[in-house]
Amino acid sequence: MNTAVRKECTDSTAVLVRRPGPRELHPERTHRRRRALELSLALAVPLVLVLLWQLAAAQAWIDDRVYPAPTTILADGWDRAAAGDLWPDVWATLKRVLAGYAIGTASGYALGLLMGSLSLVRAALEPLLDALYVVPKLALLPIFLNMFGLGEGPQVALVAATVFFFVWISTMSAVMSIPAGYRDAGQVFGASSWQMFRHVLLPASLPAVLVGARIAAGVAVLVIVASEQIAAANGLGHLIFDSRALFQNDVMFVGIVCVAVLGVVFSELVRILGRLLTPWAPRDRGRGQS
Amino acid sequence: MGEPHPKLQATDLSRTFGRGPGAVDALGPLDLTVTPGEFVCIVGPSGCGKSTLLRIASGLLRPSTGELAIRTTSPRPAAMIFQDYGIYDWKTVLANVRFGLDIQRLPRREANARARDWLARLGLADFASAYPATLSGGMRQRVAIARALAVEPEILLMDEPFAALDAQLRMILQDELLELTQTTRTTTLFITHSLEEAIVLGDRVLVMSARPGRFIAERRPPFPRPRSGEVRSAPEFTALKSELWQLLRPEAVPA
Repeated sequence: MNTAVRKECTDSTAVLVRRPGPRELHPERTHRRRRALELSLALAVPLVLVLLWQLAAAQAWIDDRVYPAPTTILADGWDRAAAGDLWPDVWATLKRVLAGYAIGTASGYALGLLMGSLSLVRAALEPLLDALYVVPKLALLPIFLNMFGLGEGPQVALVAATVFFFVWISTMSAVMSIPAGYRDAGQVFGASSWQMFRHVLLPASLPAVLVGARIAAGVAVLVIVASEQIAAANGLGHLIFDSRALFQNDVMFVGIVCVAVLGVVFSELVRILGRLLTPWAPRDRGRGQS
Repeated sequence: MGEPHPKLQATDLSRTFGRGPGAVDALGPLDLTVTPGEFVCIVGPSGCGKSTLLRIASGLLRPSTGELAIRTTSPRPAAMIFQDYGIYDWKTVLANVRFGLDIQRLPRREANARARDWLARLGLADFASAYPATLSGGMRQRVAIARALAVEPEILLMDEPFAALDAQLRMILQDELLELTQTTRTTTLFITHSLEEAIVLGDRVLVMSARPGRFIAERRPPFPRPRSGEVRSAPEFTALKSELWQLLRPEAVPA
């Protein structure tokens, strides 16, 4: 942004003038326009892409049996939702994600906290967990299938294992990077371990933990869809894969859209929850402001 | 003063932050005239808009009303020294001092020569290839001063540059800055909390009111140039200091 305005003077020496710009002269208007522009851009970009897709399908630039038009997908999704065919799959996926997410977050947070504050526990477990961290969690699905048999067990376990690592690693690094001054102050006042956790470690680490939890929310949906394609009799992942096998491409896209919506809603909920839990933290400016 | 052409002139300058009912009037409206080569110190209570004034002068921020005119032919006549140094941890001392010259696309050989010259003048010659993280606070601030002066700015803007230093180091750097600016005669706006600092360094000391900051008093320390840090022990020094404190005190008391 160029904040300088030049003007020539009568005595031939130039003068550099700093003066108010539009933002200073009309703050309300400039802010309103800026917000309106941001909002319309956020809506317009996806809308244009969908319209382009619609146009391409209508004009037969693409094979609409393979890539059904958005209106077809929407109509099909609407019909299935109205007929009640869609909800069992959505519900099945949601249940697995929530259960796995709860288990993974709780265990990851507990272990991260423990490892962040006690260096002996860290020394004992960090190499092992680091090694497990890099194993693709989907590769563990066969093990979970052997452990829990068919049914909900392996799916939930897989989500939990995935979420666990994200939350564990962000909690541990958050606890370890708490400034020493915070701990020192608590220690000098004679805080017990519980008081230290409650008054210092928990709030100090929470913002970073929540970032990990939000990333984990998206990945949880990603993993459940993949695992349902491999080993489940229902759920959105199963729906997507199954309908492709039956060459019902419109149903496949309905499933994909549902997954996308589920993922956005879930990670948004985690973000809102995080904001409520950490009113002191700087706003996470992921999508727009405020 | 009667100077026909001020170097820097602010007229009816003010700045408001935020919009609507939450808006905060941070500065002014105020007028300010600085003559070429003048060293102006501004003292005022915390949050009175001193830094805002400097940021407007540097072009980082626009005023809400009024204007600030700088008589110059250069598009970027000012260099700024920040309280927290603003020097880059990922550049060596030499590269930090050369930064402004690199931005101006000066040939490397010439830029290095000028940067080394300034390092020598600030007693940093031996640390040219060190990284700032290995330096003490005083040396880091010397790097910041060298970086600002290396571009030979027409106007030097200093925002509480010595606030983070201990008292002794602060006096030493004041003396050094006094020596430097008396040779370069750079027009300087210097913001500080310390009355002593303002009296030692300034041709003129301006006292600002609590927010929104305006100038409520102006004093000229009665010490001829070139002066040295010895003025600190002069009786006029103490008298002026307590006079300024009487002016500043009601403003500094939280409302």
